[in-house]
Amino acid sequence: MLYNIHLSIDVDVAMPVEDKSKSLLPFLSSPKLLPDESEAEFESGLQSLLSELDNPSPLAVALVSQLNECLWWIRRHTVDKELLLHEAMARLLSKAGSYSEAYDNRKVSEALEHYLDGSADKDEAAWIDEILAESKLTLSDLRIRAFKDAARHIKMVDDLIHRQHQTIRHLQRSIDSIDYKSRLIKRMDLELAALESKQSVKEVSSLDAKPS
Amino acid sequence: MPNHRRSLANRSNALKSTGPRSVAGKRASSQNSRKHGLNSTPDFESSSEYRALVDLIAEEGFSGFACADIASSLLNYRRVMDAYYDTYASPEPVDEFLRDANMKASNPIFGELLSPSGSEPQDVREIAAFFASMQRQERRKGGPASRRSADTHKLIRYQRNGIARLSRAIRQG
Repeated sequence: MLYNIHLSIDVDVAMPVEDKSKSLLPFLSSPKLLPDESEAEFESGLQSLLSELDNPSPLAVALVSQLNECLWWIRRHTVDKELLLHEAMARLLSKAGSYSEAYDNRKVSEALEHYLDGSADKDEAAWIDEILAESKLTLSDLRIRAFKDAARHIKMVDDLIHRQHQTIRHLQRSIDSIDYKSRLIKRMDLELAALESKQSVKEVSSLDAKPS
Repeated sequence: MPNHRRSLANRSNALKSTGPRSVAGKRASSQNSRKHGLNSTPDFESSSEYRALVDLIAEEGFSGFACADIASSLLNYRRVMDAYYDTYASPEPVDEFLRDANMKASNPIFGELLSPSGSEPQDVREIAAFFASMQRQERRKGGPASRRSADTHKLIRYQRNGIARLSRAIRQG
């Protein structure tokens, strides 16, 4: 069962923005985490990304938050690739040999999951070893066959990861554009101030030069 | 009645259903095929978030038109990512009964269910073939991880369009 956990990013504490009341994040929906995911880890990722920016604008902070979510999605999808393999391995085992009626797919799946992460008890491990022996497969053979079996779905997950990379590239270009724009505005402000001061100096000198 | 037999009976009876009759039932079932709602056109402009975003973005030196474009693109991108999460977090559940049922062994049960006095081979064959095709579809969908990736994969184009629109709005603004 999955539950939604809404991340409430504490803008006052977390965001290194000039004026923290001007953050865009309260007006955008927050990224959500799955129940087994660490909120602290998610936020520390965001903070480390933000720390790489020099005085980011509110829009840049909002984009960095989206970028952090993309990185998080890449992690999720990478875990899914392994899960897909496990699913396919369990499917192959449950219908291995002439035992298609004997093995419950869900039970095999759970036992295999424990077996692969090393948390299986003696009975489960013995059971999986027995099924592998009956189906005349080693674990690596099973993995290879499962990879072939799950290839279509693994390709889908690769597409999803590729999409997140593309999204990150878009976000980076947008952040660069905002940074360039703000530097350009600052430079123009400085040039304007310099021109104004020059102008005022000229006016003063022209007043001084006038014969009384 | 054994569990397997009862499930088959329920499913066979459900095939005889002619759908909802009440207005409320029809209204509810009209939304059955709604997946994520990303094809509908959202009305961001009338929301308070949109106005707040436009005001805040305007302070960063963007023109009025660009502010509106960026704000609606941001809200649209969040809408896509929320749908992406919802699709990922709640994949279509696995119908374990259908996936694991032994259809060959169920044929006599279909016979009894269809005509208790004596089976009609044609009807039994039809319903058995129907359930077998449902089972093939169910098995092809795979487990939760396969379903999750297949469902999320359908949203790729929405994410691509959403981020491209946002990026364009910012860079041209």
